[in-house]
Amino acid sequence: METIGPCHVVKSKKTTARSIVNLAIKELQNNKKDKINLIWLEATGCSGNIISLLNAENPDVMYLLQEMVSLKYNNSLMAAEGEKAFKQFLDTLDTEFILVVEGAVSTKDNGLYNIIARYQGKAITAMEAVNLAGEKAKYVLAVGTCASYGGISAARPNPSNSISVAEFLKREVIRIPGCPSHPDWVIGTIANLIAFGNLELDSKNRPIMFYSITIHDHCPRRSYFDKGIFATKLGDLECMFKLGCRGPITRTDCPMRQWNGYVNWPIGANTPCIGCAGESFPDGMEPFVRY
Amino acid sequence: MGSKITINPVTRISGFLEIEVEVEQNQIIDAKSSGMLFRGFEKMLKGRPPLDAIFFTERICGICSTAHSMASTLALEDVLNVSPNENDKIIRDFMHGCEFVQNHLRHFYQYTLPDFVRGLEISPLYTNTHNDYRLPGELNKELSKHYMEALEYSRLAHEMLAELGGKAPHTHGIFVGGVTINLDAAKWIKIKSILVKIKEFVNARMIPDVYTIAKYYPDYFYNGFGYRNLLSYGVFDSYEEKELFYIAPQVMINGERQKFNSEMITENIHRAWYEAGKIEQRPTEPTIDENLHKEDAYSWIKAPRYDQNPMEVGPLARMLLSGNYRGGISTMDRTIARVLEANKIVVIMEGLLEKMQLQSTQQGEYEIPKLVKGKGLIDTTRGALGHWISIQDQEIHNYEIITPSSWNLSPEDSIGFKGVVEEALIGTKINDLTNPVEIGRIVRSYDPCVSCATHVISDRYEPIRISVV
Repeated sequence: METIGPCHVVKSKKTTARSIVNLAIKELQNNKKDKINLIWLEATGCSGNIISLLNAENPDVMYLLQEMVSLKYNNSLMAAEGEKAFKQFLDTLDTEFILVVEGAVSTKDNGLYNIIARYQGKAITAMEAVNLAGEKAKYVLAVGTCASYGGISAARPNPSNSISVAEFLKREVIRIPGCPSHPDWVIGTIANLIAFGNLELDSKNRPIMFYSITIHDHCPRRSYFDKGIFATKLGDLECMFKLGCRGPITRTDCPMRQWNGYVNWPIGANTPCIGCAGESFPDGMEPFVRY
Repeated sequence: MGSKITINPVTRISGFLEIEVEVEQNQIIDAKSSGMLFRGFEKMLKGRPPLDAIFFTERICGICSTAHSMASTLALEDVLNVSPNENDKIIRDFMHGCEFVQNHLRHFYQYTLPDFVRGLEISPLYTNTHNDYRLPGELNKELSKHYMEALEYSRLAHEMLAELGGKAPHTHGIFVGGVTINLDAAKWIKIKSILVKIKEFVNARMIPDVYTIAKYYPDYFYNGFGYRNLLSYGVFDSYEEKELFYIAPQVMINGERQKFNSEMITENIHRAWYEAGKIEQRPTEPTIDENLHKEDAYSWIKAPRYDQNPMEVGPLARMLLSGNYRGGISTMDRTIARVLEANKIVVIMEGLLEKMQLQSTQQGEYEIPKLVKGKGLIDTTRGALGHWISIQDQEIHNYEIITPSSWNLSPEDSIGFKGVVEEALIGTKINDLTNPVEIGRIVRSYDPCVSCATHVISDRYEPIRISVV
């Protein structure tokens, strides 16, 4: 058998492959480096939206953090504490970043009802932090009903004088209401911003893709409503309207999307929608249940 | 006079907490813990429809909302004289179990692990900020991997809760009279299959992981003691079967067991920004006034006391009192007890699943009385939670809440007892004053939920020691 020497084409193919891989890795690394920064600020609320975000699935929170954004600051998750933690917040302000605020902005006594850090001896209120980051952020997302409209933090008699992020900042704020906000609504909005730029918003600055229809429009119990068959107590299978359901005035895609692995939603648990994504929640949505 | 160290934010907890310690010769000689968020739920609840308390008080806390739906529902059942049937009660207790599991998984992996495990690979969120990481390379890598894996199981715990209650957090399915779901076999087998996965993870990962940490940080068995007074209101205590029973209401003070009596619970306002005729109130008394001009007050959390004593509440208290844990009381014991409790709860949930019947829920139409008072006391993820309700003219007239984290994070009282966490910090040796990792580790072992602890109202105050430019 004739011995065949190393073929230069094969050889170059090998190196070509390697250089393509290297290019791809470099690209990937560059992409990672270029991921936009994210500050997720917890303000006057229950910190339930970050918990809801942890419930995300496809993409999950790890995909969000590894592939989509570079999370620089979040009270619930970050490793650093104290001044070192808050320094990460400050250092991010001079970069391009998305600001997510969950919770309302409590304004009473110059914001002292909600102090989020102490930096070089100085108390930093949530109000001040929202202001600092809100002025510089490329996009501001109000996540959850408290950040979007004041929500339960601003419930009568509103002891902390809490207001929405938009009312406080007086700039464009994208509202992603819900108590809590669905993780898909948050991650979907961020995906739209980083991959496609412009986001279609309604007159209340909510992404149309999630908030264009009322719960009532797509409720699986709608046929009961149309025929006038109503539930008389929780646990019943008919239309919840007469028990106080706020589906007709609440715009979200809950009936189709569903929650927590897409397994259920409040009406699926035989309870009325309490309008938790609505502007007037909770005061304007009460009583939550009536017989 | 020693040097002062202030940590704010104490991250990887729920809510906003400031810890200030005074250190002399590398030892903590004084400690103060202050909650940093006020919303005023008790004031908001006044005048609202009583049944709304369930969905309303859930919103006190995003990580333990089901705890508040349990306590508010029990308080309402007390005033309405309603008891759920056995099957609805079993399903409700199972739902409460989902909340325990979700919390314990997240607290151990997402909140506790970064204190002990280096360089989780989701920088920049996990910058290494100190040098006291002791796990060898391979083990360190393994535990970081488990951090990621755990996310799936805590998510699944909430999925079980949503299956039965619509969504989580802020679930809908727990209500006066039991639950609102009509259990069918499809739902039943779904939650059963999820629970199998969670049990496997808890046993194959979580329990070995906490012992790995304990092995490399054995000095944490020797700090974070607190007062060694333990309190539980009881939870999973109404079943006759041994495997379904966890803990009845219990108290241990100075090593002596006592019979629990809810009349012994008071809130002391000595170092809290409140003003009243008496230095301490009972939770059945009206919400008191605030005064931020008060000298030497430093916290917005009142100081709950049992027969004048500061009490530790939470998984370690429950596991010790119920005889399910034989260790001691320390930072590491607290962390281990929480992990072991996760398994204990999963086993109880398995038993509850076997007892469930495919029956429709027995919801009723509830008529609110004109004038009535009641309470709902139950142990929840972080410990003893109490809701006290008073109804007048079919509206909420007064609503008082004492949360587990108020017990653990309270300020000093008028007798001179510091709060439980404060006491646990005092005496601790700090190895590196520029990186006082001990403080965060001790505080986190209590799983503070400051969203809960600072729900209370403080009005008309002005800052004393806080100056904002």
